Amino acid sequence: MNQQTEILNSYLTFRLGDEIFAANVSKISEILEIPKITKVPRSPDFMRGVVNLRGTVLPVIDTRSKFGLAAVADTVNTCIIVMNLSLEGQPITIGAIVDEVQEVMEIEDTNIQAAPSVGAKYKTEFIEGMVKKNDLFIMLLNLDMVFSHDETHMLQELAGSKDAAEDKSNSKK
Amino acid sequence: MDNLKAIFMAEAAELIADIERALLQLEQDQQNKEGIQSIFRAMHTLKGSASMFGFDTVSTLTHHLESIYESIRDGKNQLSTTILSTTFKGLDHLQKLIDDPTMENEGVQQNHALLLKEIINLEQEQHQDIAKNGVALLTVPVSVEEVTTYYIYFLPPSTIAHNGTNALYLVEDLLNLGDAVAIPFFNNLPSFEELAPDASYIGFELVLSTSKTEKDIRDVFMFVEGECELTIVKIAAGNVLADQAVQTKLLGEQNLDAPKGVEKIKDILTASAPALAQSSQATGKAAQAVSSIRVSSERLDELMNLVSELVTTQARLSLFAGQETSNEVATIAENVEKITRRLRDNAFSMCLIPVENLVVRFSRLVRDLSTELKKDISFKTEGTDTEIDKSVIEKLTDPILHLLRNCIDHGIELPAERRKKGKPAQGTILLKSYYSGANVIIQIIDDGAGIDLGKVKKKAISRGLIAEGAELSEKELLDLIFLPGFSTADQLTGVSGRGVGMDVVKRNIADIRGEIELNTKAGEGTTFTIKLPLTLSIIDGLLVRIKETDFIIPLVVVDKCYEVETTLLTQAFNQWVTLDGERIPFLFLRNEFSIYENPPVLSQVIKVAYEGRVIGLAVDRIIGQYQAVLKPLGQLYHNQNECSGATILGDGSVALVLDTAKLINKLFIKTKPMEYEPAN
Repeated sequence: MNQQTEILNSYLTFRLGDEIFAANVSKISEILEIPKITKVPRSPDFMRGVVNLRGTVLPVIDTRSKFGLAAVADTVNTCIIVMNLSLEGQPITIGAIVDEVQEVMEIEDTNIQAAPSVGAKYKTEFIEGMVKKNDLFIMLLNLDMVFSHDETHMLQELAGSKDAAEDKSNSKK
Repeated sequence: MDNLKAIFMAEAAELIADIERALLQLEQDQQNKEGIQSIFRAMHTLKGSASMFGFDTVSTLTHHLESIYESIRDGKNQLSTTILSTTFKGLDHLQKLIDDPTMENEGVQQNHALLLKEIINLEQEQHQDIAKNGVALLTVPVSVEEVTTYYIYFLPPSTIAHNGTNALYLVEDLLNLGDAVAIPFFNNLPSFEELAPDASYIGFELVLSTSKTEKDIRDVFMFVEGECELTIVKIAAGNVLADQAVQTKLLGEQNLDAPKGVEKIKDILTASAPALAQSSQATGKAAQAVSSIRVSSERLDELMNLVSELVTTQARLSLFAGQETSNEVATIAENVEKITRRLRDNAFSMCLIPVENLVVRFSRLVRDLSTELKKDISFKTEGTDTEIDKSVIEKLTDPILHLLRNCIDHGIELPAERRKKGKPAQGTILLKSYYSGANVIIQIIDDGAGIDLGKVKKKAISRGLIAEGAELSEKELLDLIFLPGFSTADQLTGVSGRGVGMDVVKRNIADIRGEIELNTKAGEGTTFTIKLPLTLSIIDGLLVRIKETDFIIPLVVVDKCYEVETTLLTQAFNQWVTLDGERIPFLFLRNEFSIYENPPVLSQVIKVAYEGRVIGLAVDRIIGQYQAVLKPLGQLYHNQNECSGATILGDGSVALVLDTAKLINKLFIKTKPMEYEPAN
């Protein structure tokens, strides 16, 4: 029981723009440098593409774009967090691009505050809670929600909107 | 022990399938001797191994069945439909027994008792027949296994008795291996004064007709082989000694002073037995049998995985060698590439199994079900030697079984009804398979009632699948059948009509990257066409590049490559381009994939042909040929239609495998012109 609590209390923190987020380590398997990313045609912008993870094809998501932050060029600190999530009951491994990975820290359950529901910049269902550390608020992410929830829907929507755009351009002619 | 049991179960399943296949043949042609022979053989083996592994119930049942076929084989009895159907029942029961040998299931137990009685009754009937006839018909026993005749020369060392071996026992062992004649010779026998009481002076020549191999014969001499003089020569195929006259003749030739030698023996045999003349035929037959070994499918999967990794590693080596200045490295890399390709093809062919393997189960289903439903159906097959990857075959069985069930239950009409419609009373279901490019096509064609589209529509409306006044094309209506919860059968039978099925069929086939199509003509029949990829793991492809993204086009569809000025393509009217004086439609892939930056001055148009359609695919550059190990793109790209997968390139980056079939279909369905928009 003790051990389980320990695992559950370890969080990996990472930076996106000026904000710090944390994700439970139990779902994270490794951190990669940015290799060459192959963009898959006609996929949404936040899907950066696929990379080779030791022989398997890993889809990579641009977390900035997913959270609606402005795109920036990759730096030396930019990296991919590889996580094991579940999508519609199926296990799935995906990579998330973040600006910088910071540290693994212990966060006691008692220190976690509820996420503010009013005036939130991010969808509240993505945020499990918040922690204050050195005058800085760290947002705890619900990874399953952020990276697999509704993903397929978005793809479908995008394909639909693209077709609509094409129709428009054709009718112009 | 569990391991051994598993081996037995696998073997038993195969034997039962063999018997089943032969039975189905016999049903068509009851005089087929070869069929009876193979049933007997398979039963015999099954009985043997079952008792060896403690499956006593299996061996008892098989034993009784076997004796029925034994008497038929020996001509003491005639095959009858009763016997055949009892055997079918017996086989089904055997399958259950193999899973549950101690009969813990009560149903199995009752069934066992009943069947055993039935079989034993049949057996006794036969014996009574014989008794009635007064004399048992005498027939020449047919050899069950391949028998070979050997000449063996055996001279034990004179000291053989010193280490406790009795030369006579060895000879006796040999005699037990089959029909044999032993001729001793005494030319080493010294005069009485020199005779040592504990020394052996006798040698033997033997003619042995046995189904055992030469190795088995040598095994008899295991403990003395190093010391004695031993020669084993194969002199004829078949049992030369079956004829008593030959045996007598051999024994009559006794001249015990000296060994006769193999030539002399042969002469004697040829002079007296016509069997030797026949033997050449038998040898020819034996040579035809392809030797094979049993390999577990896990090992094959492992092999395929390793080959896949090797192919990827080889690509890295080739890339590295290309950057290296040394010629030698280039040569080595080239050789590795050649060998890898051959290894890959070889490993592939191991994983391919013919569709034939499925057919037995299918014919059985058709037979049982048509009897049950009182329909007269003949099941025909065509092109069953078509081979498909074993993993595909495994997943194909259930969908096809379901389609067949539907054909029999809903498709084919009752004989009376068929006659009324002016069709032959016997319905036909044809299972047809053939290659088409990189695909295997399997068709199930019946000449039954076809699908009533009106009925489909009514049903769909009542199930709320479509709106009341909806206008649907024929194809759209047929597609409704593949929706979950759809069934047109008016009443439920045990066979089909529960509305689970066609959607599952479609999903199962989609899981193995296949497609299913349906054509029907009311009153004339229905055709299901299943299209499957030949293999699931590695393909030969053409590596091309658009901007910085690499793509693979399956090589099988590539016809020719052309260099065309990009402006010609971007300004082309209605997406047609003239290549070699022939106008073909093309897809400017940059447009399709929304990549607009920096188009090259010259584009490459790759002419691909697919199911009779020819189109051009325009890309920036052609890199070269590449063996692509297919990897799934994953669930996140589930709706991505243009790419069927991805592959890892030599430099570790990922290339996308284009699904040309989908691209082409898209072009032909959506024929509207598209304008090229340069980036602002």
